[in-house]
Amino acid sequence: MISGFLEFMGRYIALTEDEKARLSEILEVRTYDKKAKLTDLGEVEQYLNFVVNGLIRKFFFNGKDQVIKHIAKERNIVASSVSYFSRLPSNYIVETIEPSVVVSISRDNLEKLFESGERWERAGRLMMADLLIEKEYWLLNMARYSPRERFLQFIKEQPDLVQRVPQKYLASYLHIKPETFSRLKHLVQIKNNIIKQS
Amino acid sequence: MNVATTKIDPVFFSFALDYLQRYFPVTPVQAEFMMGYSEMRHFDKKIIIVNDGEQENYLNMVVSGLVRKYVRRGKSEVTLQLATEGHIVHSEISFLNRVPSPVVIETIEPTTMVSLNHSNYELALQNMPGADRIGRLLLIAMFVKKDERHYKQLHMSTRERFLEYLKNHPHMLQRVPQKYLASYLNIKPETFSRLKHLVKLK
Repeated sequence: MISGFLEFMGRYIALTEDEKARLSEILEVRTYDKKAKLTDLGEVEQYLNFVVNGLIRKFFFNGKDQVIKHIAKERNIVASSVSYFSRLPSNYIVETIEPSVVVSISRDNLEKLFESGERWERAGRLMMADLLIEKEYWLLNMARYSPRERFLQFIKEQPDLVQRVPQKYLASYLHIKPETFSRLKHLVQIKNNIIKQS
Repeated sequence: MNVATTKIDPVFFSFALDYLQRYFPVTPVQAEFMMGYSEMRHFDKKIIIVNDGEQENYLNMVVSGLVRKYVRRGKSEVTLQLATEGHIVHSEISFLNRVPSPVVIETIEPTTMVSLNHSNYELALQNMPGADRIGRLLLIAMFVKKDERHYKQLHMSTRERFLEYLKNHPHMLQRVPQKYLASYLNIKPETFSRLKHLVKLK
């Protein structure tokens, strides 16, 4: 279960066997049904979660509408991250779409780990830089691409999620109106059929 | 290029340091290191500091002036950040990942910044005690700010965004050309004018 997370951390520093053991001690494996909440609105996020398998979304309510902020699949990190870092109540709900297994690390344990040595501090900084860059790319893509471009980019990069995620969630995540999303999906299907036939 | 680099002014540096200390404590030793590695850069108004496709080599804090970060979209521009005194502004993706910048960094007003160039940034990470920790805390602060801004954009109505922004940044209406502010707040220019008119009537 935890080998995936060790690999993930290994991208930032080459972990020694001792370090792997140290990290393994503070990891928790948590298992959820589908549509189960990991974090609710107003709670302070306690965990950073690494998805071992399953599918998890992060969203908030705008009136009655759900706005999807993140869809995490295998090997992705998901959490109400601002709450996790700032210790303020979460603006978001973190909820499974499919039954999911996550490897979780509590904020207290992660802080202690980072403070326990220079190599861990370095891993912490590099991990945070990655999270910042991921967010920046997402914001940038929202600003610079049209709904059609966002749609095409998404299905190119994550074709599996088009099958796994309910369409209304995907539309919300990509900031595309549901009717536009249907139309774009239809267009792509026609194109694929033409390619297959030729 | 229209940039003058000068030795760092201690008064300006202490301003930058005070701002950083709002996010995390900096020890006197760390402050000494930071000052040694930093430089001051002065720009005229309307100067492109980093263009898209160029390499970002600096991490900057604005000590006076106003800087805009934006992305080009066809013939238009989408404003992503308006950085004033005490704000950190640079092309994060380019600086951290060493790739060409997808965004443009441009001054609106004549601007002075305390800047750390990338090789000094690397040196600081090697030599300054607690540098990785400070780096991590700075990244967290930037991450939280980005998320809060985006959350507001999605969560608040156009009118609420306009009113909240003006309440928290009352001088910006004078300092920033309206089209940039409208783009930053993701409000159509004509709606922005109408909202501005409403506020004046009040």
